Amino acid sequence: MNELCLRAIGVARRRGATYADARIVALRHQYVMVEDRRIPSVQDSDSLGLGVRVIAGGAWGFAASASLTKAAIERTAAQAVEIARASGLAKAPGGVRWAKEPVHVAVFRTPVGRDPFPVPVAEKADLLLAVSREVLKVRGVRKCHGYMQFQGEHRWLATSEGTIVESETITSHATYTATAVDGTTAKTRTFEAHPANAGWEHVAATPLLGEARRVGEQAVAKLKGKACPVGRRDLVLHPSHLALTMHESIGHATELDRVLGMEESLAGSSFATIDKLGKLRYGSPLMNIVCDNTMPHGLATRGWDDDGVEGQRWPVIQNGILIDYQTGREVCHRIGAARSRGSCRADSWSSIPIIRQSNIGLEPGRAPLSLDELIADTRDGIYIEGMGSFSIDQKRQNFQFGGDCFWEIRNGKKGAMYKDVTYQAITTEFWGAMDAVCDARFWQPYGVNNCGKGDPMQVARMTHGSAPARFRKIRVGAGTR
Amino acid sequence: MTRTQAFGIIRKVLKIAKADAVSAGVRADTNASTRIADNAITQNVRTESQGLWVEVAYGKRSGGASTNDLGDASLRAVVARAQQIAKVTPPDPEYMPPLPGAEAKRYPVVSAFVPATLAQTPMDRARVLASAAAGVRRRRLRLSGAWSTSGTWSAFGNSKGLRAWHRLTYAEAHMTVLGPAGSGWAQAISTDAGEVDVAAVVAEAAGIAVRAQHAVDLPAGKYDVIMRPAAVADILGFVLWGGFDAKATDERRTFLRGKLGRKVFGDNINLRTDPGDPRCPGWPFHGDGLAAKPRFWIRNGVVENLIYSRYWAKKKRKAPTGWPTNTILDGQGTSVDDMIASTKRGLLITRFWYIRDVDPMAPTVTGMTRDGLFLVENGRIVKPVKQMRFNENLVGVFSRVEALGVPVVSGEWGGMVVPPLKVRDFTFTSTTRFG
Repeated sequence: MNELCLRAIGVARRRGATYADARIVALRHQYVMVEDRRIPSVQDSDSLGLGVRVIAGGAWGFAASASLTKAAIERTAAQAVEIARASGLAKAPGGVRWAKEPVHVAVFRTPVGRDPFPVPVAEKADLLLAVSREVLKVRGVRKCHGYMQFQGEHRWLATSEGTIVESETITSHATYTATAVDGTTAKTRTFEAHPANAGWEHVAATPLLGEARRVGEQAVAKLKGKACPVGRRDLVLHPSHLALTMHESIGHATELDRVLGMEESLAGSSFATIDKLGKLRYGSPLMNIVCDNTMPHGLATRGWDDDGVEGQRWPVIQNGILIDYQTGREVCHRIGAARSRGSCRADSWSSIPIIRQSNIGLEPGRAPLSLDELIADTRDGIYIEGMGSFSIDQKRQNFQFGGDCFWEIRNGKKGAMYKDVTYQAITTEFWGAMDAVCDARFWQPYGVNNCGKGDPMQVARMTHGSAPARFRKIRVGAGTR
Repeated sequence: MTRTQAFGIIRKVLKIAKADAVSAGVRADTNASTRIADNAITQNVRTESQGLWVEVAYGKRSGGASTNDLGDASLRAVVARAQQIAKVTPPDPEYMPPLPGAEAKRYPVVSAFVPATLAQTPMDRARVLASAAAGVRRRRLRLSGAWSTSGTWSAFGNSKGLRAWHRLTYAEAHMTVLGPAGSGWAQAISTDAGEVDVAAVVAEAAGIAVRAQHAVDLPAGKYDVIMRPAAVADILGFVLWGGFDAKATDERRTFLRGKLGRKVFGDNINLRTDPGDPRCPGWPFHGDGLAAKPRFWIRNGVVENLIYSRYWAKKKRKAPTGWPTNTILDGQGTSVDDMIASTKRGLLITRFWYIRDVDPMAPTVTGMTRDGLFLVENGRIVKPVKQMRFNENLVGVFSRVEALGVPVVSGEWGGMVVPPLKVRDFTFTSTTRFG
């Protein structure tokens, strides 16, 4: 495959490209679905193709093809150069600036205990059916949906600078949802082996079956839950919930392409503009946000990004102050950085690399603090687990989030369940209200495997970790009444 | 990909497969898109892709596999994979056998392919955008957006002799124009790239952007609203896709449970599918070869149809519908200007952003306004206001529609045919910090 990539680069260079990279990507995806006592769908797909990206005349061109014949490779590379020439009609002043990166020649592979693809489909179906049967035993539960999916990505990347890297990642994910129905409404509760770069052992180690009764019972309990109060409450947020809050209000807001307006036409931009770098108080002094593309099992951990930049670990918010961004080679110079942070990824051979969220998360608190102690220290609050409704404006300021399961906290005790809770805030006010973070014993990663961005739309994966944290006097209930 | 090539592949698959039932689909796509941001082209791509999916069944055991390698060895491998899966998958009590060949006689005539759309070159797109960007720059504004064209060729066949073929082209431009303190947005969609006037789209977005500068705070609360078509398309999908699945509804898991045949929305709401509508053609058939037929989902506010899969339709003795392949909300003809003129105090919404379910059983959704929100007083637009978050019940929204305009093609994901709407008492729950 490396030779095919180099052939494409050679054609592009001969046609005038000042920079070229070629990626061949082999994708495999397997999906097993359960609905109640049936397996309605088992699908297994693969895809292979080549994407060629060039800078010619100071402008970008990209072309992709599913064919890897000599003629197709040469045609695709030539098209990329032709497209770049067209882009030159409206190129940025001075053309594309491309940051230096050491040459890498290496291989990365996700450590996998048991490759999930050879695991028999019957074994997967049996587990899903067993879970579903158990969920449906709970009185009041009328539905169980679930699925397992496994993604394999084998990527060969070569650049005209001499980088030749190969990475092979495997992602495993299993999830199910119980739906309880009564005379007036329906409520759901979800449990999952969150998406992780790992093999079947990740699914096997998650108590999917062991938690099925509890999940079903909590779906039923939600039906009888109290209505969300309207007003201000302290929120204690579990890592399974904070993952999405961080994703939307920090992860996207610190992507430098968005900050610079390059995503304005679709996903939007960011309030965290570069004039605020080093100055913006994003949150409380307890807020330390770190990107880590070397994180074991992280969905964005793959050795090198699609700019050929090595995976790195770096802080973007330190003691509540914005100090860095997630960057790529094209844009890092805009904040005075000589080297990219390595955050550029494409979701397929047919997609152009764009800045995507890294594995980005909240560092645990330094003082010993357990979740139980945090709840015990909260007088009038709400404890939230899991992901639910989520919406945020295009500059990542005004947001509203729900969750999967909610409990009242009254005088330090976790009490009755709420049926639905939403909270609204402005990003910096919300993070400014964080006054406690549990310690490293309670830090947990959660994968997000459906992050949409780009135009044409691409879907990326990344992991967000945190320990439970508390946010004081957040506005709740505006979305439920 | 030609029709002959596509059916040649399907013929091979049907010959290779050894199963009680076999279905296969072949698809090829070409996509070209030029993206601009801050008046410069930042992304310019062309992708050619293809794919084959195969589904086989032994009795009620079925399995599927797909690939984008259409070589003979790959065809054998993908069939073998589907067979292997089907043999070990538990029997599905809801499995439905392939449709007979006669189903093809029910397909509506859909004309959706304009060859000239595919003749657009990167240079064509770049020239248009370079010219537009220069004009925007002269006004001290910034242009962001994308101008894209695509073509799709698709064939379907099964072991019962059913054959289906469809091809379509799609051209779409969406443009955001930004000033120092506010933005505007506009869009055009057609099967014919020649009908997408990118310069006009940019001019419309620029006009909104100029008026949107220096938005002021306005308290959240209830306002009469005038939604431009893009805003209507943004929320309409949450009505249709969230509540109309017949199985989920019969299992009492959607907001329409027990409401088939009953009046749920306002008298003036007529929501339907018509794959042959030239404004926004839909696919003439569904993924399993089922014919896509014109039908009302909501007629005069009454829920006339739910979405029935073949299995659920059989169980409930209904006609299978499949999911809508296009969406049309009928209008009446009131212009946006007339809606503004008839408004004592309200808000004019360009479009929405990031709408999500809050309680699908209610059904309530939340979302933001985006790219131009204006206060209307005494029949005139008086000033831009900062963007707002809404939380609304969609049954309520589509029961309080006071006026409907002329439908146009609009929307983020392929488009719908929708009119602008004037809606009474729309609920905003908070504001953000920018216009």
